[in-house]
Amino acid sequence: MVPPEWYLLLASGVFCIGLFGILTRSDALYFLMSVELMMNAANVNFVAFSLYYGDLTGQVFALFVIALAAAEVAIGIGIILVLYRNFGDIDVTVPTEMRW
Amino acid sequence: MILEALIGFTFLAALLVLLAPNAWAGRLAFALSTVPFIGSLYLWSRFDAVGNALTGGTIAFESRYEWVEVGGRTVSWFVGLDGISLPLVVLTTFLVPLAILSAWTPVDSRQSQFYGLMLFMEANLLGVFTALDFFLWFVFWEAVLVPMYFLIGIWGGPRRKYAAIKFFVYTNAASLLMFIGFMSLTFALGDSIGSLALPEITQAIADGGLETWFGISPGRMAMVAFLAMFAGFAVKVPIVPVHTWLPDAHVEAPTPVSVLLAGVLLKMGTYALLRFNFTMLPEQASALAVPIAAIAVISVVYGAMLALAQKDLKRIVAYSSVSSMGYVLLGLVVFTEYGVGGATFQMVAHGLISGLMFMAVGVVYNATHTRMVGDMAGMADRMPVTVGILVAGAFGYMGLPLMAGFAGEFFIFVGAFGAPSLPYAPVFTALAMFGIVIVAGYLLSAMQKTLFGPFRLETDYEIGPAPFHDVAPLAVLLAAIIVLGVAPDLFFEMIRDAAMPVVEGVSVDV
Amino acid sequence: MVDAFAYVPAVVLLPFFSFLVALGAGKYLPKGGAFGGIAATAGSFLLSLWIATAVAGGRAYNETLYTWAAGDQFELTFGALIDPLSALMLVIVTLVALLVHVFSLGYMNDEGETGLPRYYAGLGLFTASMLGFVVADNLLMAFMFFELVGLCSYLLIGFHFREPGPPSAAKKAFLVTRFGDYFFLVGVVAVFATFGTAAFAGEGSFPALAEAALAGSGDVWTPGGLELQTWLTVVGLLVLGGVVGKSAQFPLHTWLPDAMEGPTPVSALIHAATMVAAGVYLVARMYGFYALTPTTLAVIAFIGGFTALFAATMGVVKDELKQVLAYSTISQYGYMMLALGAGGYVAAVFHLTTHAFFKALLFLGAGSVIIAMHHNEDMWDMGGLKSRMPVTYYTFLAGSLALAGIFPFAGFWSKDEILYEALVHGLNEPLLLGGYVMGLLAVPVTAFYTFRMVFLTFHGEPRTDLAADPEPVRWNVKGPLTVLGSLAVVTGFINMVPVQKVLGLEGIDYLHRWLDNEWGGIEGLSSHHYADLGPYSSGYIAGGEVPTVLVGAAVSLGLALAGLGLAWRLYNVTSPTEHTAKLGGIKDVLYNNYYLDELQVWIAYRTEDIAGGADTFDQGIIDGVVNGVSSVSLLGGSRVRRIQTGLVTQYAAMLTLGLIALLVLLGVNGGWFL
Repeated sequence: MVPPEWYLLLASGVFCIGLFGILTRSDALYFLMSVELMMNAANVNFVAFSLYYGDLTGQVFALFVIALAAAEVAIGIGIILVLYRNFGDIDVTVPTEMRW
Repeated sequence: MILEALIGFTFLAALLVLLAPNAWAGRLAFALSTVPFIGSLYLWSRFDAVGNALTGGTIAFESRYEWVEVGGRTVSWFVGLDGISLPLVVLTTFLVPLAILSAWTPVDSRQSQFYGLMLFMEANLLGVFTALDFFLWFVFWEAVLVPMYFLIGIWGGPRRKYAAIKFFVYTNAASLLMFIGFMSLTFALGDSIGSLALPEITQAIADGGLETWFGISPGRMAMVAFLAMFAGFAVKVPIVPVHTWLPDAHVEAPTPVSVLLAGVLLKMGTYALLRFNFTMLPEQASALAVPIAAIAVISVVYGAMLALAQKDLKRIVAYSSVSSMGYVLLGLVVFTEYGVGGATFQMVAHGLISGLMFMAVGVVYNATHTRMVGDMAGMADRMPVTVGILVAGAFGYMGLPLMAGFAGEFFIFVGAFGAPSLPYAPVFTALAMFGIVIVAGYLLSAMQKTLFGPFRLETDYEIGPAPFHDVAPLAVLLAAIIVLGVAPDLFFEMIRDAAMPVVEGVSVDV
Repeated sequence: MVDAFAYVPAVVLLPFFSFLVALGAGKYLPKGGAFGGIAATAGSFLLSLWIATAVAGGRAYNETLYTWAAGDQFELTFGALIDPLSALMLVIVTLVALLVHVFSLGYMNDEGETGLPRYYAGLGLFTASMLGFVVADNLLMAFMFFELVGLCSYLLIGFHFREPGPPSAAKKAFLVTRFGDYFFLVGVVAVFATFGTAAFAGEGSFPALAEAALAGSGDVWTPGGLELQTWLTVVGLLVLGGVVGKSAQFPLHTWLPDAMEGPTPVSALIHAATMVAAGVYLVARMYGFYALTPTTLAVIAFIGGFTALFAATMGVVKDELKQVLAYSTISQYGYMMLALGAGGYVAAVFHLTTHAFFKALLFLGAGSVIIAMHHNEDMWDMGGLKSRMPVTYYTFLAGSLALAGIFPFAGFWSKDEILYEALVHGLNEPLLLGGYVMGLLAVPVTAFYTFRMVFLTFHGEPRTDLAADPEPVRWNVKGPLTVLGSLAVVTGFINMVPVQKVLGLEGIDYLHRWLDNEWGGIEGLSSHHYADLGPYSSGYIAGGEVPTVLVGAAVSLGLALAGLGLAWRLYNVTSPTEHTAKLGGIKDVLYNNYYLDELQVWIAYRTEDIAGGADTFDQGIIDGVVNGVSSVSLLGGSRVRRIQTGLVTQYAAMLTLGLIALLVLLGVNGGWFL
């Protein structure tokens, strides 16, 4: 059996890639994909610990996260479409008006 | 059940008026608001309380239902009346219909909301004066602020937003302080109380139930709680130096709201001071007697001096309220029968008189659209009846004998002068009494400038006598003031009965 | 038989009902409600006479009628106290009030004044308040009606509220007397705190308790371990504050000349029988208390003597009829205070009585002249009215002779007795002797200004067309003048003490016997008892009582005649001139009332300045702190919100940095890096 450290290393690697994507890119679609990566990193952890402890709760949670992620993508794509319609671009650094 | 019916009816009336069309909301509100007044008269006629509700006296119309339990403390719906609260309930239900009547002329937009909020406020005020459970009481206490905020903020004068926010934030912050003070007191009481009922808490403190809590000794705890609650209630009263929200709120508020603000809302502060600080923690109160008396004297004289400097009639009356509330504080702190009783009586008397003054100034304002002393003169020529009542009310404010204000002030003075528990009592009393000269000074000179002399006011319309529904509430109030001044025992008897246990809470080494 | 005393409340309530009637229905009644007032005061007068007869029949009355507040600590009550003093005062007040009501028909109704219901309502309430004060059986009740009297004076002085002068005068009257009443109220409260009661008469009354405590029996409260005698003096002086205010004694006399802005009948009522008399009556009422404190008595005597002289000097230069009378009132009440301070209780009441009649007479006479002159009050515009209005002239002359203290008119007897008491008691008391000397000096001044007034008004030739053709007055003016004129002549005979002493006739000092409870009264409220309590012993000059009486009377009469003679020489000529230039610089001082009005105005302005300063402080500092808290919060918020840039990447970076910082913190704490 693969020791859990490996899963954790994989998950943190994927998470850092996602984080890197969010911090460096300004394109909304990249954002969406990076968020997906980070969430999947969390899923890997859930499943890994579920396997390790022999408890199915983690896998159920992973399923929930996947479902949520799908819903989130639907909303995210919608937001991106609205962004494009309003600003002619999907650069997230352009709309900064909704602060205060 | 009768108290629930009273409060519940007022809430329902508020809802009903809120839904009514603007055109007759005022008339409906007036008609509905007379019902609680009649109800409170019924309460008065059947009143059978003995002693003070908090110190183990018999509570009239007591009604108690358990509600929820939080952290080992039962919170209940617990209402009842004693000789201190009944006069204030009667005052509230008496003033609201009159205030509604006085709103007919000046309020000309969104009437249903206005009257609905007035009745909503009345319901909460009744709750404040009847609730005997801290949680319940606090809910009502805070809920009063909400309609008041909107009443000032929507129907007020040019700076209404500033005044409304100042009022709300100031008093709310004070409530927080008071809340912390009271809650820490209940925590320090530990297992000696099983509920948040005020009588139980009072008795527990009197029986020495305070324990060391988080390393704070009972004595220190009681003192801290006293100071926190005092500061919290002082804002509501208001006492110098936390009084500055009052003139702003009064100047901006429309007349009927000013009437309730001065007539009833300020009494919430003094009522709470009496109930919490002076009944629950009498030892701390008498230990701090000298500084509190000093604050009271400063409130009286300083408030009166400020009133002397004002040019706006409403501001004059507002500052004189600060002055009058100083008398109440002096009466409370001396712990004598006439002092505490007189302070409670003065709450009612001042409620009526300041209500009358604000209403009368409002009626003049309806005609002139200015309240500045320099802008008008000789109003007595055009509005003889209104001015006549205004003059009578002003003399009431100055403490003319056989009017309610004199009774309240004299009781306080006679109770305070020889008070054994207050060092230098004669000096404090004599200083505070000088307020009666200053009050005469500013009211007389304001009246001379605005009401008498040759008529002068620049308007493009004729000024005639005020309509009947403006003058009628003035006359009713004046009659009530004179009745209470001639026969103060109508209220003073029950007030004394309820005040005596408070007085006996302080043992004095003579 | 019906008990007269059962009607004591009715005496007070009748004028009160006339107030209610005039206020409520005066508009619809003939003469603006005047008849109601006349009927009510006439009823009160008759009842008062009946009550006085009952007292003369050897009875007295001291009952609590109504409990105002029934505390355990003190019981605050209303009651009636009828003894010779109050019975006498009731008769005086109701009689003067009745005559003033009748006179008002001529002065107000016939002159076409508007607002008559308000006027008669005010008169009714004024009379009722004063009667309530007179019958009061305790100090609190006295204070309450004392204040109501003040209110009524405000309403009546400011009767012509559409003009600028009267409201200002009314304000001043109320405010200045209020200042005095402040001390009175402190005194009332102090009496309650000290004795636990404020009753005037009876076993448990405060004068009796004070007497007992001074004698060493009984225990009373004193603040801060103050010595009893000192504290009683303080209390006495506090109550005296109200007296000084209402009776217009120096330095609170300034309101009274201004109060001449009110209608003339009101002036008559205020000066003769009600408001101003209230102060002196109060001292007489609680004389059993004052007699215990020699310091207070000396102060009263000195204030009285000083005021008598001080006010008289100002009366010398005034041009307006009513102004002269106003200063004479202040001066005459000064005499009464001198008498009270000198232990001359009866003399003071005597002068109060005679003065009530002759001053009411003079004011009503002045009112008659004012009607005739179409409301011109300047004496320099008059002259020669003697032949044109004989009734007014002869009654006015009687009043003037009384005021000047010319034998045998009423004022002579009372003033002479005051000076005599002050002299015999003052020989060993320097302060009292000072009061006596000032009182004596005021005698020629009084005679001078009184007859200056008479000569300028009635003698010589008319100086204006108005005076040459005065408006005639009717019965309702002449009637009251005649009644009062007769009284001004004869009232002095009720108390001819000098005659009794010189001729050795016993029993003609009726007022002495009356006030000494010879017919009836209340134990402890007799002049005899007061004399026992008082600190004074008598000393005589010129070797004995009779020579002292004669010398005193001769000196005061001589001085009065000298003053009269001077006035005769200067002003009883065909076309008199002012002669005030001879006074030099003093003239301005006198014209301006020693600049005391200016001083009070200055004090008022300085108070307003302080108030303005307080307001600035309040708005700037106290409210500034409140607004400052709000501004600081708002400013802080506007600064802090800058970190909200709206750039999503920055937020993410901050989140990350925060996470890293948290991890590092936990790591350091958890010892991962060690």
